Amino acid sequence: MSGPDADRSQAALPAKVGVYVCHCGHNIAAKVDVERVAAFAASLPGVAVARDYKFMCSDPGQELIQRDIRDGLVNRVVVASCSPLMHGATFRRATEAGGISPFYSQMASIREHVSWVTADGGDATEKASTLIAGAVRRVAAHEQLDRRRAPVHPDVLVVGGGIGGIHAALTLADAGKHVYLVEREPCIGGQMAKFDKTFPTLDCAACILTPKMVQVGQHPNIDLLSFSEVEEVSGYVGSFKVKVRRKARYINEDACTGCNLCVENCTWDGILSEFDHGLGTRPVAYKPFPQAVPACPVIDRAGTSRCTFSCPAGIKAHGYVSLVRKGEYEKAFNLVLDATPLVGSLGRACYAQCETECTRASLEGPLPIRRLKRFIADAHYERGAAAAIEAAPPNGKQVAVVGSGPGGLTAAWQLARKGYRVKIFEAAPEPGGMLRLAIPGYRLPVSVVERDIENVTALGVEIATSTRVGNLEELRREGYDAILVATGAPVSTSLGVPGEDLDGVVSGLEFLEAAKLGEAAGLKGKRAVIVGGGNVAMDAARTARRIGAPEELSEPEEIMVTDAARTAWRLGAPEVIVVYRRGRGEMPAYPEEVDAAEQEGTRFSFQVAPVEVVGDGHGRATGLRCVRTELGAPDASGRRRPEPVPGSEFVIACEMVIAAIGLRPEAATLAAGLLTAANGTIQADPGTLQTDVPYVFAAGDVVSGALDIAHAVGRGQRAAFMIDRWLQGEQLDPASFDAKLPVVDQADVLAKQHPARGHLDPRAPAIRFAAAPADFAELEPPLTEAEARYGAERCLDCGGCSECGQCIAVCEADAIDLAMCDTEVELDVGAIIVATGFKPFDARRIPEYGYGRYPNVYTAPEVERLLNASGPTQGEIVLRGGEHPRTVGIIHCVGSRDARYNAYCSRVCCMYSLKLAHLIKERTGAEVYSFYIDMRTPGKGYEEFYGKVMKEGVHLIRGRVVEVSDEAEWPGAEGKLVLRAEDTLAGVVRQVPVDMVVLAVALEPQADAEHVGRLLNISCGSEGFFTERHPKLAPVSTFTDGVFLAGACQGPKDIPDTVAQAGAAAAEALVMIDRGSVELEPSTAFVDAAKCSGCRICLGLCPFGALSLDAEANVVVANEVLCKGCGVCVAACPSGALQQHLFTDEQILAELEGVLKDV
Amino acid sequence: MSYTYYPGCSAKGTGRSYEESLRAVFGALGTGLDELEDWNCCGASGYPAVDAAKAVALSARNLALAEGARPGPGPVDVIAPCAGCYRALLKTERALADGGAVAARVGGALGAAGLRYEGRARARHPLDVLVNDIGLDRIAEAAVRPLGGLRVACYYGCLLVRPYATFDDRRAPTSMERLLEAAGAEPIDWPLRTRCCGGSCYCGGPLIGALPEATLRLSYRLLKDAKRRGADAIATVCPLCQFNLEAFQGQMARRFDEPVDLTVGFFTQLLGTALGLNERALGVHRMLRWQLPEPTGAEGGAHVRA
Repeated sequence: MSGPDADRSQAALPAKVGVYVCHCGHNIAAKVDVERVAAFAASLPGVAVARDYKFMCSDPGQELIQRDIRDGLVNRVVVASCSPLMHGATFRRATEAGGISPFYSQMASIREHVSWVTADGGDATEKASTLIAGAVRRVAAHEQLDRRRAPVHPDVLVVGGGIGGIHAALTLADAGKHVYLVEREPCIGGQMAKFDKTFPTLDCAACILTPKMVQVGQHPNIDLLSFSEVEEVSGYVGSFKVKVRRKARYINEDACTGCNLCVENCTWDGILSEFDHGLGTRPVAYKPFPQAVPACPVIDRAGTSRCTFSCPAGIKAHGYVSLVRKGEYEKAFNLVLDATPLVGSLGRACYAQCETECTRASLEGPLPIRRLKRFIADAHYERGAAAAIEAAPPNGKQVAVVGSGPGGLTAAWQLARKGYRVKIFEAAPEPGGMLRLAIPGYRLPVSVVERDIENVTALGVEIATSTRVGNLEELRREGYDAILVATGAPVSTSLGVPGEDLDGVVSGLEFLEAAKLGEAAGLKGKRAVIVGGGNVAMDAARTARRIGAPEELSEPEEIMVTDAARTAWRLGAPEVIVVYRRGRGEMPAYPEEVDAAEQEGTRFSFQVAPVEVVGDGHGRATGLRCVRTELGAPDASGRRRPEPVPGSEFVIACEMVIAAIGLRPEAATLAAGLLTAANGTIQADPGTLQTDVPYVFAAGDVVSGALDIAHAVGRGQRAAFMIDRWLQGEQLDPASFDAKLPVVDQADVLAKQHPARGHLDPRAPAIRFAAAPADFAELEPPLTEAEARYGAERCLDCGGCSECGQCIAVCEADAIDLAMCDTEVELDVGAIIVATGFKPFDARRIPEYGYGRYPNVYTAPEVERLLNASGPTQGEIVLRGGEHPRTVGIIHCVGSRDARYNAYCSRVCCMYSLKLAHLIKERTGAEVYSFYIDMRTPGKGYEEFYGKVMKEGVHLIRGRVVEVSDEAEWPGAEGKLVLRAEDTLAGVVRQVPVDMVVLAVALEPQADAEHVGRLLNISCGSEGFFTERHPKLAPVSTFTDGVFLAGACQGPKDIPDTVAQAGAAAAEALVMIDRGSVELEPSTAFVDAAKCSGCRICLGLCPFGALSLDAEANVVVANEVLCKGCGVCVAACPSGALQQHLFTDEQILAELEGVLKDV
Repeated sequence: MSYTYYPGCSAKGTGRSYEESLRAVFGALGTGLDELEDWNCCGASGYPAVDAAKAVALSARNLALAEGARPGPGPVDVIAPCAGCYRALLKTERALADGGAVAARVGGALGAAGLRYEGRARARHPLDVLVNDIGLDRIAEAAVRPLGGLRVACYYGCLLVRPYATFDDRRAPTSMERLLEAAGAEPIDWPLRTRCCGGSCYCGGPLIGALPEATLRLSYRLLKDAKRRGADAIATVCPLCQFNLEAFQGQMARRFDEPVDLTVGFFTQLLGTALGLNERALGVHRMLRWQLPEPTGAEGGAHVRA
């Protein structure tokens, strides 16, 4: 080890210092009087030899040192020359070659610190002498130290899968090393994959790139981590620990065969393609380009679409809308059926929270999502086809479902599909719960409900009507393995006023039921008053409608109010009045329903509360005494409390009083053994729906209190899932049911939209209302097919993937997994090669060139895509209107050679502009005008290419374009874009009208280059590209040992230079790996245990975790392998126990004494 | 609320309607304009080429007077409606802020006149004050007779946002468009809004100036392009711009193929119309031509929602 315990044979001898003053040619000698300095050095005590020489770093110079050592003249070496960074290693080697420890050498920098920075020769000579005096005293205090070596892990990480990364990876892999290639896009290929042809040979980019890509994909030594990003890097050269986040593709890469069926069958292909720079579109499941490696596509999911996220019934709303958009109505039907059999009912009676959350609602209006569901239900039922959902074979278990409402029916459906034998027990004479017995026929025809229920019975589910279940234990004894209680909330809250027992007073639910069952006495001649609007319990339970709320409320008793009113008309009532104790604004009924009721003739009396039902003395109701109310302070629900106004009583004459105040469950008879709350709801675990009796589950309104159909359907699904789990002996884990990605933000969705898809015409057919309607015929007109397609086409595809399931259906390898999550892997590597490439300059930053303003101004990368045969125009150069350009202008140096943006020359743009000029001319025959400042064509074959393009008749104008304008100053310029530039060779100003403008945009560093630099501990230059260790002699290494650079991330360059750098970086990594270890500077901290008091000040200061406390001895221990020699702990140690090799107090003080020689 | 007002020579001469409409508009908005006592020429003409330091002193006198009239501390905003004066005053501010020999000389000259420049005076253009101090909401509110979808081409000229882009973008300014939109107009999108009209080459008229053919053509190009894009009128911020674009349309008709017949007014005149002020108060009677189309009934008083 190092430190005071090392062999000190040389140290024991008195120091005999040799001083060697270098001229460095003229660099030092022109300013510093080197001979005088050498003479001065010779006069210093302890100096045995002092020489000056022209070039100390040269062979003869080094030989001087070695000879003096071998001859025994010196045992310490001071070289006064350049700097340790330049030649510190050189002189240490020379010292060692002479036969003593290399650490017995010290440099005095009289070039960087003296001759290069001092104006006056006399001052320079004086300063050089001073520095040498210091070095001489210091070196006498030097110790021999052991060299530290750190092992090098043989694996390499290559960050970036463009041509640079690919070549580096292949080179290392072919050398037998294991390489991780991390690429953040779904496939490798980088920018080069987007090109059509490459200069100067006009090779097709894909032709030369794809074989290398395939090699990478197949190479046994390369682990390709695509669609992944480096998150964290720790450690140091030879042993880096890298955390990589593998983003979820939602397709299992190992199982995928690359058959592309998912891409072809994806129902939405309107996403702007990033690979095509937004010129074309791609599907949600996509490969960036056909030859992608890996061939596994990615399903693009931004999150869950707002409609799907908000659906309490768990229906993939966006999914079926997307299928309708494609004309796949049957598949859409089956997608809904996957969640619930009640497709037709929901299509009419659901309150459609999805439409409230639809992003289009903030534009012209939401999509008619509910009516689309009705459309697909009607389409299916009219065709009379059987549903394409199959049930699993019977598994021998039985489940009893009590209640045939939407919750019970959905649960029975899901359980039957899983192979359970299910029997539903329904107390009413007809199945369907509220659907059948409460919702009026003009909203939900009975035939639709019956057809939906047929979906359930078709699976063999038995429904026993007029059968009231009294005792759950008895059911259990009949052999049912589990029971689901889904009896809803059928008990009405009473009015609570005197006279409510009179004939003619009825609850809202009873009234609607009677009407639906055909038992209602006709209301001809009977005026009806409906009392609506919640009781205290409902008030307290109200919450605002918002996405993510666990319970979505719809205040069904308010629907009941309007339903009752509209039903009363149809039964023949001559007058219908609704009385509500708060105001119109507070009434939480749907405005459309209130509006509908009013259109049919209903009168709403707001701020009126009932006091008493007045009778005729013979037990029949003749009127309702009411009192006016004033709205006072807000109550617990946030709405203003109605306070009766004294003395404002009045009577409304009527023969029928319908109380539609509230509903609650009736669980009393079933409740034996089940926990219930005061309002009659059954207590069940909110996540698993299991009650405290393990075989009894409860779902829907009986648990939550009166809610709505969609909510009941959702809970029915959850119950079936949990019952199945329980019966299979598995864990009931609530999180495993219905996991969703987070919902997308509306603002983000709108920001990504193409402006053309802004406000559209909502075009939805409205309902025609008639006053005092006479029948219960369905009112809402169905959507025509054209209307349905149009409605679905307005979809903005908020979450990207609609979860329509078509990819899953066609994948024969069963590789699609929408529940996939991002994963993290940790890699151990010895070296890292950064090949993260560039991004094109954003031409919108130069408004004078009109990019983004005039449609036919393109950037060069966009034109590459136009030229590419697999691009958005199949290789045709066309303008936005589809026609071919007859004149094209190319502007060089857009964003480069420009003090306002980037001062540098972007190096490749002249060549690629010439290439584009050639290709455009070849494809279209257009006249091409190239405006350049200088033509830079320095590479092999480049000048010849330039000559060839010139001969082809491309017009080359030396002048910087000042403006692209649509001003038509003369007739020939009408409809064209005019480029104005001074032709500096001809000395005239040219105004050239063209059809199409191509901007040769500069190469810039990636937007996150600084972030990547921080991750890897490398720096970026002033222009943002990564900084190399030395611009001439070390262009592919950085100041961080073990991290190398390759390609455009280090500076703009073409493909040949990128490949060359990639090979160089691979070679430098191989140097490290083949050596097996790297030498580290021994300037590490060490602890003199005798002086350490265990104060621990240093422990928290070490950024590298190199210090730890030996608790027993209460002294600090320094880990020399982790220590990077920053010196912070040494400076902080109050007792001087911590010292640093090569910078001990003794050495520093000695140097100071030397420097202060004249003091 | 009132501002110091520096009219500049044109406002008292051929550009009188600019001052009239400016005063009318500010009055209607409840903001006062106090004309600077004893103001002198701003030096926007050729004088700086003759003697730079004297030109700065000449211009600085106005700033010193403004500061003297409103003792500090705190900045003194000086509204200068003519873009030429505005730019000249800004240039003077910067020259004095630099310190150095010129600032010292000018300081001495001012001192000899019993004046002092402390750096508190700031030149402001009325367009800036209307849009950023008074605000578009107030303008929209006050627009009782919105301009009914008038298609106006907003012409900034060369000096308002160059070389000093103090309150708007130097290549694509939008203050005037936003202001007139709040007043109910429908400004056209005009890429030539800061293009040279040739005015600097011929102050006073093309027949007098150095390059008559070129300068007449430059103005003509602007008018022709505005008309081609459907403008009913052009709004200007400077008496010289207004003059150049309005006064020579007859000459242009004789010289060039397509005659152009466009109303060229001050933006304050259009704004004043929307505020319900009568034409006389806005100096419309002084214009060589004033023909605005009937309002199309487009909604006024509503500016672009953020």
